[in-house]
Amino acid sequence: MSEWPAQLKVLGTRVPRVDGPAKVTGQAKYTSDVLPEGVLIGMILRSKWPAARILKIHLDKARQMPGIKAAVAVQDGPRQVRYYGEELAAVAGVSRQACEDALRAIEVEAEPLPFVVREEDARKPDAPRVWEQAPNMPPPRVQETGNVDAAFAECAAVIEGFYATPVQLHHPMETHGCTVLWNEEGITAWASTQGIFGVRDGLAGALRVDQSKVRVITEHMGGGFGSKFGPGVEGILAARLAKEAGAPVKLMLSRFEEALAVGNRPSSFQRIKLGAKADGTLHAFEFENYGTAGVGAGQATEGGGGGADLPMPYIYRVPNRRLKQTTVAVNAGSSRAFRAPGHPVASYGMESAMDDLAVKLGIDPLELRIKNDPSEIRQREYRIGAERFGWKEKYRKPGSSPGPVKTGVGVASATWGGGGSNRTQGEVQINPDGSVEVRLGVQDIGTGTRTVAAVVAAEVLGLKPEQITVKFGDTRFPPGPGSGGSVTSPSVAPTVFDACTKALDQLQKQTGIPDARGENWHVACKKLGVTPLVVQGQWRQGLSSSGVGGVQFAEVEVDTETGLVTVKKIVVVQDCGLVVDPLTAESQVNGGVIMGIGFALYEERVMDWQTGVVLNPNFETYKLPGLADVPEIDIVLLNMPERGVIGLGEPVHIPTAAAIANAVANALGVRINSLPITPRKVLAALGKIPAPKTPAA
Amino acid sequence: MKQADPSSTGRLSRRDFFKGLGTTAVAAAAAQAESVAQELQKLNTEKVFGPGPVPVTLKVNGKTHRLELEPRVTLLDALRNHLGLTGPKEGCDRAACGACTVWLDGVAIYACQKLAIDAQGHEVTTVEGLTPDGRLTPVQQAFVERDALQCGYCTPGFVMSVSALLRKKPKPTVQEVLHACAGNLCRCGTHPRVLEAALVAAGVRPVSMTRTEVIPHV
Amino acid sequence: MKPFEYASALSIESARALAGANGQYLAGGNDLLGRLKDEITETGRLVNIKTIPGLNRIEPGPNTWRIGALVTVAQIEDHPEICRVFPGLHQAAAEVGSQQIRNVATLGGNLAQHSRCWYYRHRDIQCLKKRGRICYALDGDNRYHALFTGNVCISPVVSNLAIALTALDATAVVWREGQERRMSMAELYELAWDNPTAHHSLRPGDLLLRVEIPTTRPRSAYLQVSDKHAFDWALVSCAAAAQVENGRLRNARIALGCVSPVPHQVSAANQFLEGKSLDNATLDQVADLLLAGAQPQEHNGYKIPMARALIRRTLLQLVG
Repeated sequence: MSEWPAQLKVLGTRVPRVDGPAKVTGQAKYTSDVLPEGVLIGMILRSKWPAARILKIHLDKARQMPGIKAAVAVQDGPRQVRYYGEELAAVAGVSRQACEDALRAIEVEAEPLPFVVREEDARKPDAPRVWEQAPNMPPPRVQETGNVDAAFAECAAVIEGFYATPVQLHHPMETHGCTVLWNEEGITAWASTQGIFGVRDGLAGALRVDQSKVRVITEHMGGGFGSKFGPGVEGILAARLAKEAGAPVKLMLSRFEEALAVGNRPSSFQRIKLGAKADGTLHAFEFENYGTAGVGAGQATEGGGGGADLPMPYIYRVPNRRLKQTTVAVNAGSSRAFRAPGHPVASYGMESAMDDLAVKLGIDPLELRIKNDPSEIRQREYRIGAERFGWKEKYRKPGSSPGPVKTGVGVASATWGGGGSNRTQGEVQINPDGSVEVRLGVQDIGTGTRTVAAVVAAEVLGLKPEQITVKFGDTRFPPGPGSGGSVTSPSVAPTVFDACTKALDQLQKQTGIPDARGENWHVACKKLGVTPLVVQGQWRQGLSSSGVGGVQFAEVEVDTETGLVTVKKIVVVQDCGLVVDPLTAESQVNGGVIMGIGFALYEERVMDWQTGVVLNPNFETYKLPGLADVPEIDIVLLNMPERGVIGLGEPVHIPTAAAIANAVANALGVRINSLPITPRKVLAALGKIPAPKTPAA
Repeated sequence: MKQADPSSTGRLSRRDFFKGLGTTAVAAAAAQAESVAQELQKLNTEKVFGPGPVPVTLKVNGKTHRLELEPRVTLLDALRNHLGLTGPKEGCDRAACGACTVWLDGVAIYACQKLAIDAQGHEVTTVEGLTPDGRLTPVQQAFVERDALQCGYCTPGFVMSVSALLRKKPKPTVQEVLHACAGNLCRCGTHPRVLEAALVAAGVRPVSMTRTEVIPHV
Repeated sequence: MKPFEYASALSIESARALAGANGQYLAGGNDLLGRLKDEITETGRLVNIKTIPGLNRIEPGPNTWRIGALVTVAQIEDHPEICRVFPGLHQAAAEVGSQQIRNVATLGGNLAQHSRCWYYRHRDIQCLKKRGRICYALDGDNRYHALFTGNVCISPVVSNLAIALTALDATAVVWREGQERRMSMAELYELAWDNPTAHHSLRPGDLLLRVEIPTTRPRSAYLQVSDKHAFDWALVSCAAAAQVENGRLRNARIALGCVSPVPHQVSAANQFLEGKSLDNATLDQVADLLLAGAQPQEHNGYKIPMARALIRRTLLQLVG
């Protein structure tokens, strides 16, 4: 039972984002907008070789170029680079143009080495090794429960399928980077980050400065989706350049660089064998998967996320199962945590297999899930969603819709944690004029957590959200968690609740006014005299929890003559405990769904096996959904106040691609077994492509 | 107007210019000194500038700025790093994402794919120029109310695209909004609400793409 | 970008003089600036040609329309009469890039744009088109590439307007070293058929002046399919134009884009359509003729059924 008051005045109402006006007028300053006095531009030189021994980097010419104030190599002495785009050196100069010219003047002595960039090539025993000391693909980890082989023999229906997903790039609209300034106090860094304390500690360690002398500021940043934890190589280079130049340095990556070196979601090649008894109960599950995390395979990756392993059999419980998973290294940028790491890929594989099994059993795919899903919340979500979506009316046997443009429907589900961090602290300042400031060392990465804080403070203090000034994103404020794992709202809300409750308490005690809220507010505050009241608070139990479900239904149209897939409608039924602000929560849902549409239909990082480069390092050929690609999105939020606040940024991204893939398979009667589902693949699956006359090399 | 010969300095002088005009034109030109200066400037524009920094005059949000820029400096670079106008953002520098959208003589362009020197003689409007007095325009108000923003990095670009559309088509259809905004990307997923906000700002009944119901779990 | 000079030309002759051996004309700049940023084109000087008078007019005529090379794609899209007289051109213009691109992109620039092949466009790949040794697309990822070519390079023409204008049998008027040359759309691109380093038939210093479109074909249509629903290069495009009398085609022209270095047209297909009404058999046969000899690569075979669908739909839209 949650400790939130039963009668809520502000919480749960639709409150516009408190930083909305600043953002729509262009007044909000993002990391890339910060321009301290005398700031220089920093730029990175990157490896053109997908693998090479770097012998020497000559910086003298670059240092002498007009306008250049500093030049550093990432590492002195010989070293090895392992992907196209790996950082080699950096310069700082008075303008972009000066830096571009200086980069061209850097000479690199290198011995190119053999390389491999495709998973299927890297797995071969004679493939060039990405890391000399280890094979590209270690033997799989095996997990077994029950007796799989016997269990399959007992099944009434067994399917075997292959499902693959590509490497997906985060591509936040603001690139990675930061501005670093040194002065007598130490280092100040404005970073585009999801975790200011992680950046602080990373810079302090790399530059050998006390953590107390490093301050990181992130007032506004343009998205991260998991890729922006830690200072990154670019942050440390910016700091080193600033030190050498004796001036602040702004180093923001280009869009091109974003495709190479700052993280991605690992690919997957999933082989699934799934069997059920005659009544539809899942009985046996065999799973083999490999995928690539780039050079990060087996290495710790920033922000977690690990290798390419998947949590299977995802939301379902199957008593007999065997899993074999491994990660294959290729000469490409390392993966990083990406919005619900592992889950969208696992959901895609598992939910595709479930649909294929349902077809084999001859039963409605939704019925198969209702039969097997152990989650009570999701059971409720299936029922609500099915009615909302019109599943019974819309579901047809696969491929049975008439006409060249076929419609189909699909469903898929999610599970996620999203609990709060008990290491969160905050403070509230009540001023004698009645104004209130809330300060936390967390960052709003676009999720609306500033508004969450304002709403909670307003609720407790009996004010309106507009009366609360929220200050985030400064390591001088009380510490909070990085914005990942959907933990921010469940961390911030209880903390602000705690701080404001304590502050109200103290205000009332100090001023002798038993209830300082409402009409008494200004009178009470005035009694503070000249000293504002500053009260610390911290995360407390009972106001948040973790563990959410989430179900999504998709309706698609597939033009079987051109192959074009159009998503017509997505219905989302999502729980997230206590809904703090439905307006911003819906936006999060939209965001997860639209990113899922991108994953399903448009996005893939393409490597060229001949040269080892990323072939699509831009938005022209790495395709993101635009307004015309976005369908009707119908959202039902299950409000569960008794569970307290739970984060929802990630669960809403998990099942979308799976639902769309199932809808396409339902429309066509045949499955396209890899994402993205492009017109090319649709036409191939329909058998419409004549065999090439010239054999492939 | 007859082509006057350039003087020995290689530049056309005011005297030569007037010599080339008829009497009526002189009278008219004298009354409009500004346009004479413009004409003069035009006649001298076959001059080669650069590659080093050269004087570049930009008219932005109604103010005239005189900068020293290399010809290769983009309008976006000039706005953000030389004029401190950070409303237009850099998202891709390749005319593909729209975060840098500004108006050139009232129509939306990508500032990243326009040279600053090539923008001379035009009126540039950035998002800052929409609200000189700080009050939100109807488009901006609608964006805030409908939550057509999240991280907000793409938002100035969308505001410029939607605002440009509404100047041209005050009551757009859904298709016209989609068409006008196709060149703006967003990674946070504001798309349905940008559409809503555009229609609301236009006073058109929004075909709400996102419907939500918050229901209690019992 | 590497440093360059900038000058504005007031006449075609001075533009040519200013461009010299190494200069480039700057109109909208969408393509050129992108190439300069990725260092796949080098130049010492940009010559702004937007200041040349007389090249930005749309001139209707009873038999021929003249559209200046500096007319923007947005102006073409928005022109109410073009929409009525050359609907295929209107549709093609509406699909060019985004509003921001159309507002500055010019007719001339759109026709003269370089290949979008991702090997060509990659700053660190020296492909055949850049005078390197090999065409990387042949053994690489060729999903966006051509079904037809007369040389080793398999990069296709991607200009929407070129395809629509081919179907309309338009003529490009090009200024070349003091002379005006008239070129059909086919001639405008034919050099790219044989020569892997060519994107079209224009030589350095050539300046597109205008396009002249006969009004002989009152019906025209343009369709394309892309991965996305908007702001995406076509995977395949198709344009058709004809007179239609009693449901029968006269003087029909049909062309495909993104399948060949040149707008893909087959005279046998055009001739076959003469006097025909459109039934399934006819549509199939036109597609057979237009796609005869297609040589799919490893990843672009889908363009064949996609083209067949577009041919059918474009012709059906033509007759209304």
